[in-house]
Amino acid sequence: MELIFKVYRHDPAAGTKPALESYPVSLPDGATVLDGLFQIRDRHDGGLAFRAACGRGFCGECTLRINRSGKLACITKVAQVAKDGEVTVEPVRNITVLKDLVYDVDELLWQKIAWVEPWLRPATAQPEGGYVIPDAGLEPIRKAMSCYYCGLCDEGCSVIPFDRRFSGPAALTKAFRVVFDPRDGAARERLLRLGEPRGMWDCVHCYEANEHCPRGIDPTDRIFDLRDKAVELGVKSGTANPQVARHYDSFAASVRQSGWLDEGRLALETWGLGRLGELLPMAWRALRRGKLPVPYLHRKRPGAEWIRKIFDKVEKRS
Amino acid sequence: MPDHTVVVVGGGVAGIRAALAARAQGADVALVSKVHPLRSHSCTSQGGLNAALAPDDSWETHAQDTVAGGDFLGDQDAVETLAREAPDAVLELDRWGAPFNRDERGRLALRRLAGASRARACYADDLTGHVVLQVLHEQLLAARVPAYVEWVVTSLLMDDGACRGVVALELATGTLHAITARAVVLATGGFGRVYEPTGASLGLTGDGLALAYRAGAVLMDMEMVQYHPTALTGTGALLTEALLGEGALLVTGGGERVMAEAAPRLGERAPRDLLSRSIASRLKAGEAVLLDARPIGGARLGRSFGVTRHLVKAVAGLDLAKEPVPVEPVPHRTMGGVRVDLHGATGVPGLFAAGGCAATGVHGANRLGGNSLLEALVFGRRAGEAAARAAAAAPTGQGASSRLADEERALEALTARGGGPDAAATIRQALTRTMREQVGLFREAAGLAEATRTIVGLEERYRGLGVTASGRRWNYALVSHLELGHLLEVARVVAAAALARQESRGVHARRDFPERDDTGWLRHTLASFTPDGPKLDAQPVVITRWPPGRRAY
Repeated sequence: MELIFKVYRHDPAAGTKPALESYPVSLPDGATVLDGLFQIRDRHDGGLAFRAACGRGFCGECTLRINRSGKLACITKVAQVAKDGEVTVEPVRNITVLKDLVYDVDELLWQKIAWVEPWLRPATAQPEGGYVIPDAGLEPIRKAMSCYYCGLCDEGCSVIPFDRRFSGPAALTKAFRVVFDPRDGAARERLLRLGEPRGMWDCVHCYEANEHCPRGIDPTDRIFDLRDKAVELGVKSGTANPQVARHYDSFAASVRQSGWLDEGRLALETWGLGRLGELLPMAWRALRRGKLPVPYLHRKRPGAEWIRKIFDKVEKRS
Repeated sequence: MPDHTVVVVGGGVAGIRAALAARAQGADVALVSKVHPLRSHSCTSQGGLNAALAPDDSWETHAQDTVAGGDFLGDQDAVETLAREAPDAVLELDRWGAPFNRDERGRLALRRLAGASRARACYADDLTGHVVLQVLHEQLLAARVPAYVEWVVTSLLMDDGACRGVVALELATGTLHAITARAVVLATGGFGRVYEPTGASLGLTGDGLALAYRAGAVLMDMEMVQYHPTALTGTGALLTEALLGEGALLVTGGGERVMAEAAPRLGERAPRDLLSRSIASRLKAGEAVLLDARPIGGARLGRSFGVTRHLVKAVAGLDLAKEPVPVEPVPHRTMGGVRVDLHGATGVPGLFAAGGCAATGVHGANRLGGNSLLEALVFGRRAGEAAARAAAAAPTGQGASSRLADEERALEALTARGGGPDAAATIRQALTRTMREQVGLFREAAGLAEATRTIVGLEERYRGLGVTASGRRWNYALVSHLELGHLLEVARVVAAAALARQESRGVHARRDFPERDDTGWLRHTLASFTPDGPKLDAQPVVITRWPPGRRAY
């Protein structure tokens, strides 16, 4: 097979601009994109930087954008992706490129995984011969742990492009693994932490993570599981951060009272009078675009009484 | 200049377990790894972890199976240690949160792996190594062990014959660092990449073996290279042997059972050396060999072998639940390594080794499935503890900065030389072809001698080679140049040891010496570095209670 590989080249330290370079490659049928990259490094430019580790679809190290779609280079067959004899290879999106196809996985994944403190804190001492647990309780944990940190869920995430510090679906899936482990006894503390800014409540449930996960873990649903657990345990999220706590309290109080969200009240109660000035530029933009109703009025919605009853019911349960 | 009490090189199961053990002893330990720990080769291990946990099982039976599986070349003191400490190693993982499968009563479920006389391996679907590695990495985070990730060790810091740290290249900056320590644990994995195709990860280039060998440590049983019997033909993608353990069949294109003659009793559950040779003989005779997983049933395949099924689909477009798939043996697990005692000590003061790069002697001439991760855990812990103890009593090394400067000059010379008419990739391809064709599944004197000559010639060419990429940041050409040096060093020992062993035992099959010879060869092959090539020696096998007998499967 004779093909052209168009490969993203960029050396930020050298101050050059990113560019797609074309390289001719000659590969046997059945060759993978990774084979092609190695050939370029061997024959054309030893300086081409890309990562690869297991080489057979187990470790998630060689995740790249191949013809505009996130894939593992080591199990992606060139013949299946080539278009008009061309294969484009780029780093995944929304990430800091370190050199060529090497990007900052530490920022994307590893720091976030450490942030969720994903080590077990057993509730009880281990009985002789091991914990006795129905397998049904461990099956979801195994599923979550089948994650190999390819990062494709984070790459597809709708929040990360706007806030790279969002913990993201991969790290939250790791959090799920400990929160829901039947042996773990620290769910409350964990959920408190996960409720902090950039934690589970920052997910906008766009379901992109589910779409992108190659292992069918459905990370979006795992984030929902965490949130449900927080509600079930009555963990008031964000209490570690007074501003976030006020945001949630205000949000809930508004919906409880009127049946919908009073955004003016939310801003006031979250930020306090002292820092409200910081929101003025945003308010001005909203006003200009006709997104701020004038005069500002907030009415009860029809059926608000029913919404209040839902609140009463949930609060009684937790 | 970073300084620690203990430095562990390698972030796989053995390395992390060693680091945790050293930390538990109170040592200031750091991990150095050329890939992120979660990308280590351990994550590809699928089958399970052997431990005599069932009420009617015993460590003695586990040990006996291991000794017979290894064709009686295993050191039985080491095998006993492995089997006795296995249950604790597994229960520790259970305590740390490994989600091992449970039986219907909620206790650890056990599956049967090749060469085992009963179901003995606990497992997590078809991702046991992946899950074990993650759980260990979680503990590493909890213990706040500093990790130098994507740092490539280029040499050991030796002072007066003792190892007192490492020199390592930080890929992100291209800076060379000396990391001083009072003890070093090598846990860099095996050297499967002397072959291609192979099931070994790209990084298994024998780094730890070559570093230790040059520093005066002894390599043992280097001729013992295990083939994985069932790789998806033409891809190097391994199909876990747990498939065979749970009922998959090996059949020829004509529908004949492949193992009917070679292992009438165990059939597809025979050890890997027998499976590989039986399959290879059929392939050589022009027949196709197929793995038929349909007897396992679609439901169980979906539940317990989801990842395998997905990979087969991705790589070959075949569905394990619906059709048999073609398989072939590929080189996989190397039993040879740096010779160590029961505490991972190499004999070089301050230098320890564990896991795939070490030879504890437990695997003998053929490793059993389910014993690798286990060995990494049991002997990783022992090596970490011993290193911490040794470090506490050891002096600080001298001369790190001058060694660092030497190394810096050597790397500069390499990148300054630039590319020439010869290329690392050409040398590497020639090496892996020679190893595949002449030091492969079946061997004989003429081919092995020729392989040695070829490798010596390649080493000569390698010495004249420069690195084509000049910058130092993220210079993978430089890394693979260093790796090629390790591969050549190690391959030469493999060929020499294979030529020396004039018998067939376990995975080592000599066409010119087809029988096992307990009178002449019930002994380990040892190799020490000299400038003129490996100096070979031998040492007796430790036999405690299982005298060599016939292997009958």
